[in-house]
Amino acid sequence: MSKLTDKNSYTVIFAIIMVVVVGSLLAGVAQTLKGRISENERFEKQQNILYAMGINNNQGATDVAFIPATEVAEKFDTYIKKQVVIQGDQITEDPEAFLIDIKQEASKAKDDPNYQRRLPMFIGEKDGKTLYIVPMRGNGLWDAIWGFMAIDENLRVEGVFFDHAGETPGLGANIKERFFMDPFTGEELMSNGTFRGVTVAKGNNDPRNNRKDDHRVDAIAGSTITGDGVTAMIRRDVAMYIPHIKKLINEQQ
Amino acid sequence: MEHIELFFKSIFIDNMIFATFLGMCSYLAVSKRVATAVGLGAAVIFVLAVTVPLNWLLNEYILKDGALVWLGPEYASYDLSFLTFILFIATIATMVQLVEIVVEKFSPGLYNALGIFLPLIAVNCAILGGSLFMQAREIPTLGLALNYGISSGIGWFLAILAIAAIREKIRYSNVPAPLRGLGITFIITGLMAIGFMSFGGMLTGGDEGAEASEIGAPVMGVETEQLQNESNNTDKTISVLDNQTLTKE
Amino acid sequence: MALLSRKERNLVLDPLTDDNPITVQVLGICSALAITAELKASVVMAVSVIAVLAVGNVVISLLRNVIPNKIRIIVQLVVIAALVILVDLILKAFAFELSKQLSVFIGLIITNCIIMGRFEAFALGNNPWHSFLDGIGNAGGYGLILIIVGFFRELLGFGTLFGYKVLGDPIEKTGLYALGYENNGFMVLSPMALIVIGIIIWVQRIKNKELIED
Repeated sequence: MSKLTDKNSYTVIFAIIMVVVVGSLLAGVAQTLKGRISENERFEKQQNILYAMGINNNQGATDVAFIPATEVAEKFDTYIKKQVVIQGDQITEDPEAFLIDIKQEASKAKDDPNYQRRLPMFIGEKDGKTLYIVPMRGNGLWDAIWGFMAIDENLRVEGVFFDHAGETPGLGANIKERFFMDPFTGEELMSNGTFRGVTVAKGNNDPRNNRKDDHRVDAIAGSTITGDGVTAMIRRDVAMYIPHIKKLINEQQ
Repeated sequence: MEHIELFFKSIFIDNMIFATFLGMCSYLAVSKRVATAVGLGAAVIFVLAVTVPLNWLLNEYILKDGALVWLGPEYASYDLSFLTFILFIATIATMVQLVEIVVEKFSPGLYNALGIFLPLIAVNCAILGGSLFMQAREIPTLGLALNYGISSGIGWFLAILAIAAIREKIRYSNVPAPLRGLGITFIITGLMAIGFMSFGGMLTGGDEGAEASEIGAPVMGVETEQLQNESNNTDKTISVLDNQTLTKE
Repeated sequence: MALLSRKERNLVLDPLTDDNPITVQVLGICSALAITAELKASVVMAVSVIAVLAVGNVVISLLRNVIPNKIRIIVQLVVIAALVILVDLILKAFAFELSKQLSVFIGLIITNCIIMGRFEAFALGNNPWHSFLDGIGNAGGYGLILIIVGFFRELLGFGTLFGYKVLGDPIEKTGLYALGYENNGFMVLSPMALIVIGIIIWVQRIKNKELIED
């Protein structure tokens, strides 16, 4: 005696129905919500860019509070004066620059060595200072990490914002906490005219981060690989922008 | 060169058990005897070697943003990456069940040796972890994906072989009764993981290391000197604190 | 507890102690190691797993008479993955802030073998109400261990609990640190979670001799 659920034909039919039902359910939901999700993601990107500039609703010493989604588009237009795309030596203005997917650009550049990568950059103004905000993207321990860095006219860090897809909660995930991000502010990026970036260093002799010209911030204990990922990301992605920022600063003066 | 580097990196530095703690459940449950551990380990190598390249193809030609472009330019804007989990899991479960059926049919001997471990593998998070790491790290070619699957499988195999051997020996030791079995296995695994952490240093050899030593760690003496100079004219307490940290190191 | 019969009560209470998923059934170890460096993450994970396992158990239990035996593993995995992805998509659209905080846990939940383990061991053979209770109990027992490990690792590793500096400030040298106490950086690393769980198992088996292995 065999049960109905053991029959081959039943198994095949069940599998087909399951695939169709689950597939169409997921695809349907994903399609209907796509608009809302991409809108939320766009707001998030604007919030992150403004956060790196130091425009946020932070009140306590530990909270990371963005401009609320309802106001962010307006604030973004107020503070971000220009969005530019850098391709080769060309710097062109492009109001859609923040839609560029830097992950795709990086993989295109990797696949095809002749491809000239499009680099989006945001030029903002705060308290009369011009700030250059650059995006970056790299790998942490488990998955991707990314962020924005606001750079001022003296090539110092004005502020940063980091985020991640799946770093270990309580360890690497803390790169998006204030105690990790705040010490970047004021760090020098350049040393004697060459780019050195900011290293996330263990055994830092400067745990309160009083020295701003040592190119180092204190690492998070227990998350070496995420920290190294941040260092590498800054060294690779921010470095690409430095000559262009220098050029823009010279043009302004 | 790329292949050799990835091979050793996946076995030792990114060891599935000791560095990322994936597949821990079957590792602890099936490591009482060396013979069974070898069976499970071999099955894991095999399944990883099949599913990682398979999922690489899926990711490259179906899931990635714009991956459907081979169907025609009008498909370039589709992004199916939200299906990643479900498709990867389905591939793994299907493969495991397929392998089970094929092995049962053609090689009953092997089936008896391997059989009971195969269903266990479908729920082994090391297998899904392997595919997800492959996606997150953007492994560029099919060959490297195959390499990654095999080598991370070997890493898992080595780990379970080692703990099974230790557990066979430790039966003759005088372990406190409540700690016997699972308890001592947890603690030994912890110690082994601490040992494996030392492989992490292997990564910084080569080019990256040269760069790091040039840019990263400054020479200790120079740093101290600077600190002392600073302490003369700036905030005293801070430099005292810094020097304390220094001497401790 | 007049609401639940004796058997039903045991379904919830047993996994909290004598049939604990982590220390006795050896399920769900990976996530117990990865995310217990901080108490807050442990609590979030515990709550998410309770929700997912309770709902998943009910769904599988409802489907238990129609799932073909040969492909049950695939069906179970697909059901759980589909549920989690659906919740993730909906959160992304309507509660973006919350979804940002939970996104890290999604992969960990799908790959958590405690979920598959309970589907296979319980939900496939029992009615939905019992499966629901079993889900709550097992995920609760799992969460309990997570929270204990998270408590010790955060307290000894960072000197904080839920981010509050309960032992004083290690840089300013106040509180306990003024007496020369130092944080144990090792506690932050995952291998120490293994050792803490080992000690929990030790303590548990001293209390309950029946669990001792030969």
